Amino acid sequence: MQTFFKWRGVAPDMRFVIIGAGRVGLRTARVLSEEGHDVVIVERDAAKSERARGQGYEVVEGDGSREEILEEAGIDGADALGALTGDLNVNFAACMIGKHRGARTVLRIDEDYREEIYRKYAAEVDEIVYPERLGAIGAKNALLGGDIRAIADIAQHLQVVELTISETAPIRGYSISELQLPADATVLAFGKSDGALEIPSPDESLENGDRLVVLADFGVLDDVRQLVVGEAGRAAAGGVN
Amino acid sequence: MVTAYVMVKANTGAADRLREEISGIEGVVDTHIVAGDVDLIAKVEVDTPGKVKDVSATSIQAIDGVEDTRTYIAMD
Repeated sequence: MQTFFKWRGVAPDMRFVIIGAGRVGLRTARVLSEEGHDVVIVERDAAKSERARGQGYEVVEGDGSREEILEEAGIDGADALGALTGDLNVNFAACMIGKHRGARTVLRIDEDYREEIYRKYAAEVDEIVYPERLGAIGAKNALLGGDIRAIADIAQHLQVVELTISETAPIRGYSISELQLPADATVLAFGKSDGALEIPSPDESLENGDRLVVLADFGVLDDVRQLVVGEAGRAAAGGVN
Repeated sequence: MVTAYVMVKANTGAADRLREEISGIEGVVDTHIVAGDVDLIAKVEVDTPGKVKDVSATSIQAIDGVEDTRTYIAMD
């Protein structure tokens, strides 16, 4: 939930230390910068550091698993640390230091089975990301086309999805206040077919082409889809996980 | 007495079960779940170098969810 609202730019400007200027680190740095946050990148490789500097980022060249390097990157004033290298040992050491210095920590894992292990045992790690899973969700959305789009995995069984209301949707014609979703699903945002997504107001009517952003448990995702998109969409989309 | 450390790479999130099963093997004196490239490290104490292989290659690798092991025999 917290992540979602940050994306929407509601949180004030924050300061982040990103370890790793590879594809995941740079991409993350870019999104954060574009939203007006301060980002410092720590990168061990000279060529990668140079490239990141060339793209306008503040870069500390060095090993992100070393405390003095993280100090140089300003870990003490940072709100959060993203340990996003491809080296799990570096990522975990960086999180240990980051947590000790009072930052929120996000660890990139390289294989999905580790998610459970780190959630259970790694007290130093606040969040775990497995980029390949998000990539797979994106690829699946693109392949399916269709009227349901996964936005984020919030937890193992919790996902944020954007659904487009269809002509045959059971909810079409009703208002937001009349909308009855399953217990494990909540509407986060609503957008008219031609407008931006906004916090939903109760009187808004649900029309063909409008979009709903819903936080839902995987267990009720099919029901939500059936209500919002209708039967046709359900048959085409399948599971999102 | 031979001491060895066995690095265990898993392919399951069921780390607790792996730790229990590894700990139950004769010759294993200590097992920890660790962060990083490997997922568990087991300390082995046996009579002969040949028995190290029995523990690591035969017993540990036979556990469901163990992907790979790497064994280091202590020299001191």
